[in-house]
Order: sequence, then structure tokens, then C-alpha cells
Amino acid sequence: MGEGISRRSFVRAGGALGLLALVPRARLEELLAASARAAGTGGGHFLTAHELDTLRAVCGRLVPGPPDDPDPGAREAHVPEAIDLLLGAFRVSPPMIHAGGPFSRRAGGKRDDFTHFVRLDRHAALGWRIRLEGTRGKRQREFAGPVRGLQQIYREGLAHLDSRAAGHFAALPGPAQDAILSDQSDDQVQELVGVALSNTLEAMYGPPEYGGNRGLVGWKYTHWPGDRQPRGYTDAQVSGLDAGGPGFKLDAKALRGMERFLPALAGVRPSRERFWLRSRGLRGR
Amino acid sequence: MSKASVIVVGSGAGGSAAAWALRRAGHPVLILEKGRNLLPGLGTHHGIGSLFGNDEVKAGRAFENQDEILEPRTSRTQEEAGQGVDRSFIGDVNDLPTVAGGGTIHWDAKTPRFWKQDFKALSLYGPVPGATMADWPLSYDDLAPYYDRVEARLGVQGDVHRMPKRTLEQAPRRHQFPLPPNPPMYAGKLLAEGAASLGYEAYPFPMAINSVEGHHGRARCNSCGFCSGFGCPINARGSAAVSFLHEALLHGAKLRPRSFVYRIDTTKNGKLARGVSYLDSRGRKRKARADIVILAASGIETARLLLLSRSAAHPHGLANRSGQVGRNLMFHFVTLGIGIFTDDVHAWRGPSTTFVIDDFIGPYTGPEAKNAGLPYLKGGLCETGGDILLLDEAQIYAAPPNSWGKQHKNLMRQSVFRRHLAGMSMLGEDMPQAANRVDLDPKIRDVYGFPVPRITRSQHKFELASSSYYGPKLAEICQRAPGAVSGQVIPAGTLSSNNATGDLTGGLASTAHIMGTARMGHDPRHSVVDAFGRAHEVENLFVADGSPFVTAGGFNPTLTIMALSLRMAEHIAGVRYERARGRRHRPRHH
Ligand SMILES: Cc1cc2nc3c(=O)[nH]c(=O)nc-3n(C[C@H](O)[C@H](O)[C@H](O)COP(=O)(O)OP(=O)(O)OC[C@H]3O[C@@H](n4cnc5c(N)ncnc54)[C@H](O)[C@@H]3O)c2cc1C
Ligand code: SF4
Repeated sequence: MGEGISRRSFVRAGGALGLLALVPRARLEELLAASARAAGTGGGHFLTAHELDTLRAVCGRLVPGPPDDPDPGAREAHVPEAIDLLLGAFRVSPPMIHAGGPFSRRAGGKRDDFTHFVRLDRHAALGWRIRLEGTRGKRQREFAGPVRGLQQIYREGLAHLDSRAAGHFAALPGPAQDAILSDQSDDQVQELVGVALSNTLEAMYGPPEYGGNRGLVGWKYTHWPGDRQPRGYTDAQVSGLDAGGPGFKLDAKALRGMERFLPALAGVRPSRERFWLRSRGLRGR
Repeated sequence: MSKASVIVVGSGAGGSAAAWALRRAGHPVLILEKGRNLLPGLGTHHGIGSLFGNDEVKAGRAFENQDEILEPRTSRTQEEAGQGVDRSFIGDVNDLPTVAGGGTIHWDAKTPRFWKQDFKALSLYGPVPGATMADWPLSYDDLAPYYDRVEARLGVQGDVHRMPKRTLEQAPRRHQFPLPPNPPMYAGKLLAEGAASLGYEAYPFPMAINSVEGHHGRARCNSCGFCSGFGCPINARGSAAVSFLHEALLHGAKLRPRSFVYRIDTTKNGKLARGVSYLDSRGRKRKARADIVILAASGIETARLLLLSRSAAHPHGLANRSGQVGRNLMFHFVTLGIGIFTDDVHAWRGPSTTFVIDDFIGPYTGPEAKNAGLPYLKGGLCETGGDILLLDEAQIYAAPPNSWGKQHKNLMRQSVFRRHLAGMSMLGEDMPQAANRVDLDPKIRDVYGFPVPRITRSQHKFELASSSYYGPKLAEICQRAPGAVSGQVIPAGTLSSNNATGDLTGGLASTAHIMGTARMGHDPRHSVVDAFGRAHEVENLFVADGSPFVTAGGFNPTLTIMALSLRMAEHIAGVRYERARGRRHRPRHH
């Protein structure tokens, strides 16, 4: 692909139109550090120090790292801090909901456009306020019925985990934490797990500009190239097999284990009050 | 003499094509669009940029998509409607992007033509019990010149020499495609071989994807792979926005983003549209006036808008004396074939697909049809090489209960679905049914304060029978592909099972193809618009999206939406329309 074209055809009008707001790497680091420091100072962007500790324990069970798993997990990827940053999005300027585009510097881009977050306009901001804060009985938010916001789900859910753990979930050994998190008879636990799992996967496997996937750990162990623009793939990479690719083949046992995931290939469009369960499934329309 | 002024509601496929053609013909054009513009530079001489990136998180966060929190839809099945259930679901019901450029901002850009038989299905194949099959009031030949024009503007790739004979008989072409096909995707090639071994013919899928550097001043597709469901970061993909809207704006059409139209205003006797009422970006009530109003808000929203615009002269909704507004809603149905391969087939490199099979279009009149009590079965186009990206994969493995932790991470490491899977999806024709419809939800409102569209919908047994007939053939192709270790089918019935839980979700409903809610026809008693998209009852009101479709065909609909729109625009430009207020005037710009 011609670098010439990509330069020519991308216009920096977004900044000029006031659509974009830069969050430089250093600022992101600072924001995450504010969450990370919470343990000492009594608060991240939304969660309290104690809540953040509990969330770290939860995320560490959902996507474990060493010693339970050889590769870095959610804690190492700074997923809990990224979730705190999402929950407190409106306490930060700009709210880091939609990273910019078209390029990061990871695949030949000259500028780091992903760090230029797209500003939420009035309409978009209301949608995200409702997602994060809930409708809270406010008339201008309840036009289509109530929505429990993520902040409330985390706050109540994390407290509930403590109540299931005689006061201190994070202090339990891993297997005991797993036993609580996998208790399908406890709706409040499952609501929290649903939300936390969805946010954890986003922060673990999404672009690092949102605060997670630190050091690209979520992309490294999965051999995922991540964003590919403007370099893209060569015709040979599209049409042929990779020479010396990841190199492992599929065994029959692995294959049998996959059947139970087939229905999820259809994707999920959850009802409005469970918006976080959305997933796309097999693509192509 | 000045030309009739035009308001276009919605800047998507149909709206942008109409705006482009009418602006070129010298009409003053105002486009009202409820979404934002996410392509900086659109409509300026600086060239078109993009705020889209290869970002799976953003794609799942109502960036370009309609925000179901603010603008939900509701749904229920026909059975539930019969039991008096108002709704069993509130959320995203086959939502399309809400943005300048509409659904095509992140489409796959597959641009097949309908076949001759689609326009005359009732005469050719007879009625289907429980369905409202009808002929279109126009033929393939009427539409063919407009197909040519849309393909030229979009920059469609393909190869006429590799298309099967039956395809060219059903959809004859005067020209080779404007652009050659993309490099074939590896997984697609394997599936094409599997198909060939069974006697099926895979050929390059006609797609509005730029395969030649600089064509129309746009970049060549570099196969980045974040294609279906993602805005193109380099605008290599043709679309309503880059192929039509941009030039319309350059030539003086006006676009007002974040303008939500809530009513079509008419003269007192209801015979003429005067313009529209809308909320501007700050929520203030506004009016715009023009000689002609074109609705292109996509099938569901156009029907809703007509129903919202009821008046003394149109008590059941504007242009709805026939009672047909909102009815015959068609979505297509999805059947998935899943091939698993020993090698890493990287189905995610490249655009959404590079090959297509049309062997399953039908009609098929064998015993399986008779046994189901149907005169025939039909499938649809079948793409080869559907893929899963990283976050998609993580979500899929997390779907069953307690499916997290070490096992999830092992699955991600092994990556069966991302690295070793190549899918086939067949988007099959569904039957028009009077009871599959859009109306106004009696209680739920959107953020603007208006009743949301309610979708009542159940599968016809035609879709289920067709899916179970063709589905195994998809699995067989997958199985026969070189290096495949497994081939499976996920039929439409499975995908619709969510209906039982009240979630009208999953593959079946989320086809992104919306057709039929303002049917076209010659007879005003049974249709809403005429063969040019003009409302039978309102002389200067037109519909230019998927709503006029009489049948769904087994084809992605958007090329046909755009071709119909250009045909409509040419008609408008050639006919003098009476003005709503006795004299000619331009849209008022407040
Ligand atoms: C992931 C995906 C892949 C797809 N792939 C393909 C493909 O490969 N081939 C194909 O043919 N089709 C494809 N489609 C479908 C395609 O996008 C639609 O068929 C097409 O966009 C429909 O055109 P339309 O003009 O009817 O409506 P739209 O393109 O949806 O445009 C309607 C516009 O009207 C605006 N609007 C709605 N209501 C109002 C209102 N009240 N006031 C003001 N503005 C309003 C909306 O915001 C929107 O911009 C795909 C869709 C998706 C989501
Ligand atoms: S695959 Fe090609 S057309 Fe699709 S988004 Fe990437 S560059 Fe654009």
C-alpha cells in the first residue's frame, strides 16, 4: 500500500473541528497510576482502594497470570486500573470512551491517532452517562425504563463478594474465590461476573490506549498482530500460508471441546439493561 | 427556472445516492441526518479522513452504531402479539449505524445484483401459503442501467468471466466490473476448492472495495482485516459517504448532522408534503420546508416516521390508507457453516470475504419442499471465509457459564476459532408476511421523547425448511475443503432460539438487512409507494431505502437500494412537481 495515499487521504480536520482530544501516553500512565496508587491514598477514579483490591482479585481469577498461568494475566495487563478509569470516565477530561483513528504507531503510522480520543457530543455523552451512572430515577434518563449503571453494579457487586467471603474476598485463596465467582445460584455474583468479565476481556485484548493490555501482553501470548493500519497485509500474506507461522496444529481433543461454543458464533444482542453482554460472533453480512 | 428543492431524511445508502443524483441535476438538496459525521473532511476539498481504526473496543461501544440505550427498539413474536404481550425485548433489534453515511459506513460492501426471477417471483413460482408474495412493479431490465451506474460510482470489484452462466443469465451485465478482484484470501480459496469438489462454483464476490491504488482518489485496500463492522481507516471501501455524499456536498448539497426528524409535515388536506419537523443538535424544534421530501431513514425508521406523522387527513399514519406501512418486514435469515482446519488459515486477513457461491439461491422444488408443505425452497448467497477477531474470540469462549479462568486462557492460546476457523454464511431469502411488522411501541420512548419502533416478527416455516435443506450443504463444503478437520452447520432455527427467552437477538435478527416496510406496487390498495418510490397518497413524498422492496431475494440488498434510489432521482428530475405552497422555494436554512 502506498504511504503517499494514506498521508494524502487522511485529513487532520478532526482536531480542528474540535472532535478530538489528545491523551498522550504520559497522561495515560498518570491516570493509571492514580488508580494504582489508590491502595495507598484511598481512591482511584471511581473505586475505593478496597474495592480496587477486590476487583484485582476478581480480574486475576477471570484472566489469571503467574503463577496460575505461564503468561501475564489481567492484573499484569493493568486491567483493574483500566476498568476504574472507565468507571470514572467523566471525572477525567476527555472521557476515554472512543479512541481516535485511523492509526496508532504500531503498524507504520507516523502519528499516534489512537491517543487522540474522540470527544463525546451531547448525545453520545448521555448514552455513556447512563451506562456508567445508570438512570437513577432521573426523568430525562428513564424514557425507556431504568438501567442499572456499571458504577452501581461494581460497587454493590464487590461489596457482595466481601459479604460472601466473611468480609474480605481478596484475602481468600484462589480456589475459594473461584468457588464464589462460579456460584450460579447467586444472581448478584453473576451480574458482577458478567460485567467484570466483559470489561476485563476488553481491557485485556483491546488496544492499550484504553489503559489495559499493558506492554501488549494480551496480544503477545495470543500471537495477535493488533491494529494493522496503515501497513495492512501483503498479497502473499493474504493468499498464502505463513512460512514458519505459529507452527502448532490442532488436536482432536481440542476440537471436541469446541462444540459448546458454536452457538456463540451467532453473536449476542443483549437486552438494553444488560448492554455489556454484547458480542459480535462470526462476522459477515 | 430554479429546480424543485429537496429534503432527504437520512444520509445512508438510499439517501446519499438520491442526494448525489438530484444535486447533480441542479436541485437544492438538504440532508437531515440524526447521527454525527465521523469522516473529517467529508464534503471538503481537503479530502476525506477517518476517525475509524482497527479497534475492537470502539467498534463495540456505540461509536457509529445506533446507541440502544438512547434509541432502543422493542420486539415480540407473532405468537406473543396474539397473546397480548406488548413486547418481550428492549434493545438493539437489527440496528444499523447512525452516522453520516448510514449503514454503509461499516458494511462488508458486498454488492450483488438481484436476479431477474426476484422481480417476478409470484408469476413465476406461484403463491406461498402464509406469505404475501407479489411481483415487483418493475423488472431487472428496468434496474440494470442503474446497477451499472452505482457500481461505477462505488468502485465495485469483480470478474464477469468467472461468473457462472446461470448468474449472468439471471443478472446480465453489459460491462466488466470497474475493478479487478482483491487478492484471494487463503481460507476462501480452501472453501472454494471444497465447493468445486462438490460441483459448486465459487467466484469473486462483487464488492465495493478499492483494489487499485488511487481509483477515485482513494487508497487501495491493504487487507487490514478489521472490515465487516468497522469503518475503513483508509477509505478504501466504497460507501454512501465516500462515493455519493462527499460529492453531493462538494456540489452544494447541505448536510445537517444530529438532526432527528420526527414528523413529515403536510398540507391540511394531506395531499402534499410541506417539509419536516426535526430536533437540531441542541434539541431545539426546527422545521425545514421543500418541494419534495425523500425518506431514506432505513426500513424500520422510515415506517416509524410515517406512523409518527399521522394527521386528520392520514389517521393511520402518513400514506397508510392501505394499512401496509410497516408490514412485510424482511430481514433475511442466516445459516452458518463452520469449517475447522489444521493449519492457521488466518481468515481475518483481508476484507470480509473474497469468494461467493450462488448455487443455493433456488428455487428448489424437490421432495423436501413438498414435505414442508411449500411450493419451493430458497437459500441465498453464501460467502466463503467468515472470520473471528481477537476480542470476538475472547467473548465467544466466555459465553457459556463459568467459562473463564485458566481454561479460557488456554483456549485463547490454542485459538481454534480465530486461527483455524473459516465460516460460510448464507443470507437466505425470507418470506414477506403481513404480521411481520413495525409499529409504534405503546409505552417505550427514545431519548427524543418519541415512541420507539416495535418489531413483531416470527420466522415463516419457509426459512426454517430452507435452512435445514441448504445448511448441511454448507457443512459439506467446509468438510471437503483441503485441510479441514471438521464441518458443522448452525441452522437458522438455532439462531432464532433466543426468541424463546425474549431476546430477539443473535444471528437471525442481526442480519443488518432491513426491507419491505413500505412496499412498492401499482395498486394503492396493497402497496405504499409506486414503482418510482413515490407515495401513492402524497404526490411529492418519496421513499429511497430498503422499505419499498417487495421481496427480499437471496442477496445483500444495498446495491439494489442505491439503484432504486438513482432511478427514483432521475424520475424526480424529469417530472415537474407541484409545490406544496403554490410557489417554488428552497429548503429554509435556519
Ligand atoms: C456489519 C454490516 C455489514 C453489512 N454488509 C453489507 C453488505 O456487504 N452488502 C449490503 O448490501 N449490505 C450490507 N449491510 C447492510 C447495509 O448497511 C444496509 O443495507 C444499508 O445501509 C441500508 O441503507 P438505507 O439507505 O436503507 O439505510 P441506512 O444506510 O441505515 O441509512 C439511514 C440513515 O438515516 C438516518 N436516520 C434514521 N432515522 C432518522 C431520523 N428520524 N432523522 C434523521 N435521520 C435518520 C440514520 O442515522 C442513517 O444514517 C451491512 C450492514 C452492517 C451493519
Ligand atoms: S480490509 Fe480493506 S476495505 Fe476493509 S477496512 Fe481494511 S483496508 Fe478497508
